[in-house]
Amino acid sequence: MTARTQTQKLPAAFAQVAPGVSAAQIDSAQLGAITHELADVHRARLADLFASESEQGAVVLRAVYAHDTESRYLVLECPVSGPLFPALSDLDPAAFVEECEIYEQFAIRPDSVKPLNRMLMPPHAEESFPRLGRRPRPPLKDVHARHVVAGEAFEFPFGPVRAAGWESLYMGLVTTGEEVLDLYLAHWHKHRGIERRLAGLESERALFFTERMDGLNAVGNGLALCRAIESAAGATVPTAAAHTRSIALELERIYNHAAAIAATCQTTGLSVGQARAEIVLERLLRLNAAAFGHRYLFDVLAPGGVRRAPDTAAIREQLPGACAEFRRVVQALLRTNSHVDRLETTGVLTREQAERLSLVGPLARASGCTIDSRADHPFAPYDQLELAPAVGEGGDVLARMKVMVAEVAASERLVLDQLGDAGPGRIDVSPRSAAALGWAESPRGEALVWVAFDSRGSIERARLRPAAVRNWRAFDDAARAQNVFTDIPIIEASFWLTVAGFAR
Amino acid sequence: MAYWFLRGLGHGIVTTRYPKAIDVWTQTLPTPPAFHSDRLTLALADRLVAVCPSRALAREADELVVDLGACTACGRCIDEGRGAVEASGVFELASTSRERLVKRVRIGGGAG
Amino acid sequence: MSEPTADQLRRRALALFGRSLHIRTVDTGSCAVCESEIRLLSAPPYDLHRLGFFLTPAPRHADLLLVTGPAVRAMDNALLKAYEATPDPKAVVAVGACALGGIYEEDGLVHGALDRVLPIDVYIPGCPPSPLALLQGLLVAVGRLEERVAALSFDLVAEAER
Repeated sequence: MTARTQTQKLPAAFAQVAPGVSAAQIDSAQLGAITHELADVHRARLADLFASESEQGAVVLRAVYAHDTESRYLVLECPVSGPLFPALSDLDPAAFVEECEIYEQFAIRPDSVKPLNRMLMPPHAEESFPRLGRRPRPPLKDVHARHVVAGEAFEFPFGPVRAAGWESLYMGLVTTGEEVLDLYLAHWHKHRGIERRLAGLESERALFFTERMDGLNAVGNGLALCRAIESAAGATVPTAAAHTRSIALELERIYNHAAAIAATCQTTGLSVGQARAEIVLERLLRLNAAAFGHRYLFDVLAPGGVRRAPDTAAIREQLPGACAEFRRVVQALLRTNSHVDRLETTGVLTREQAERLSLVGPLARASGCTIDSRADHPFAPYDQLELAPAVGEGGDVLARMKVMVAEVAASERLVLDQLGDAGPGRIDVSPRSAAALGWAESPRGEALVWVAFDSRGSIERARLRPAAVRNWRAFDDAARAQNVFTDIPIIEASFWLTVAGFAR
Repeated sequence: MAYWFLRGLGHGIVTTRYPKAIDVWTQTLPTPPAFHSDRLTLALADRLVAVCPSRALAREADELVVDLGACTACGRCIDEGRGAVEASGVFELASTSRERLVKRVRIGGGAG
Repeated sequence: MSEPTADQLRRRALALFGRSLHIRTVDTGSCAVCESEIRLLSAPPYDLHRLGFFLTPAPRHADLLLVTGPAVRAMDNALLKAYEATPDPKAVVAVGACALGGIYEEDGLVHGALDRVLPIDVYIPGCPPSPLALLQGLLVAVGRLEERVAALSFDLVAEAER
């Protein structure tokens, strides 16, 4: 457990609403000052910002701050009347993406002079396009600053259809030829309106959609949703089921990191390294199928527990060998200079940049941030386990790779240590007229879900915030500054985010 | 670079022989349901339709309509209908016709 | 002129694509797991090259479009451009429950099923279809394998009576 500092008095009337979560209701006049104080004085990190609209048209803004050293999430609720809300992004750049998203969905603007960017709504979206809010609003223009640097720079459009097995994503590379001066990403090609689809569903069906929203983080995002549901119901999951969930989450982490290493080899052109890493990945996916009945660990979780227990014998038999092979592949990669040369000093994100944008996961850890929600905001069984977040330094592609490698070893240990305690278990949970926050450390970082239930037990509003929502915004910082075209795929592989997780 | 070559040789062939042979591990893959139609009752069929999250099941009079294309092999109908529903074990489901992916199973167990 | 029989279609596919097939992938809004299985087709455990299949980054070189996702409307433009850029003769294969209409109902953001946008030659169910299921689907598309699912009833009593 991290040493606790002297608790400073919080700036508003926060009351604990659930273990590890406190909430306060404030009015919009206080929002700016309070969030400023939370960030500056209490060193809390902005974890999410979103809005909801009631049947009657009343809009409420919610900001979730993570007080990592105090193991607490702070949820601020602030009603918004009128078309403007206090801008957080003028002082906290980490809020910008969310403010744009809120405008697109609810037609309320932050009161700032800064132009807003398009996030999820396609350019041809009309008034009738499905949104979370009801008010009409003028469409957003894409904001691309014109670049003129030593001759004309131009925006080279790339995507959305890209190479085999890479998700649809538009990249506008601003360049004079080879060097990347700036980079614009458009994720709106994959926006499916999942949060909107969850409204009106009951928990079981909501979990089905949430797992399939961003399948590579099915357990991470699904577990955050399950924990939000259980928190809203005031329920505790059986211990054996908690261990089963943790095993599934760590297996998900292991295969994703192996896939990231394989993708990094693909982008540096080291085909033999890619082939060997993919052999390991395939072994891990078959292990998932043997252990839990699905290569990508879908349909393992349930609200209130798990749908099935793992085949612990299969895990004991197959996991050590697969992880040992993974280590051998990594050792060989680190001795292959042509590969390592492409990774060193590529796509650097400094610690200051990572903190300014409130990044999460291995991406933040590789830049030197000690942030890992398993240790910072522990829940069963993580509160009982030996955890040592892998923190790197340098923030380049090589640092990210090393963090992932360390995490695979740590996760292997966590899985093997819990095999004896894992089992089935599921309790009935039917929250009514309640709202709660859930979280889990998905392979790409902290995944958050906030869910509110109506009096009939259906979801009124579900906010899904996979790790990708936080981390994509750092991609242009990493891509700029002395990187060339061919570095961009390498940087993307090292981020190893999903477009699906951002676009939802 | 020699390391990669030697390691690869030492590892041997890992490639599947599909379609000439089907690997044993595929038995752990999730597959769409198969039904003991004589144990399917109308009441059970309605419960199966309700529990399916991807609209792959529907009831039309005394037939259970199974849309293999919509099926995600999540197993919820298998859990709900144990004894009457089991995993089919079929993962080679490709079809040139969307209609041929929709199967009709007679509900032969009565009202239930 | 009468409709071609299934057998005639299969022989035509075999003649056109049987020995070498170039595949272009398009993601119309998948959850990324179908993409992960497609990436593994070129990995040693599956090695699609041994079957004469190749992944190509250019639609101009492609014989077949391997499409995932529930056809998010925002991808219509890009999807149709990829389809039109692929020269005839070509085939379109829809991959996964999303593309086959299983997960997403049609609404203002998504079509919900790929065959609402493009003519589909082969449907591959699954969530996700494993690389072996993908290989089976591709072999069916080029006429080298017969479909299996047509002959199955998924009714264990009927199967036992056969």
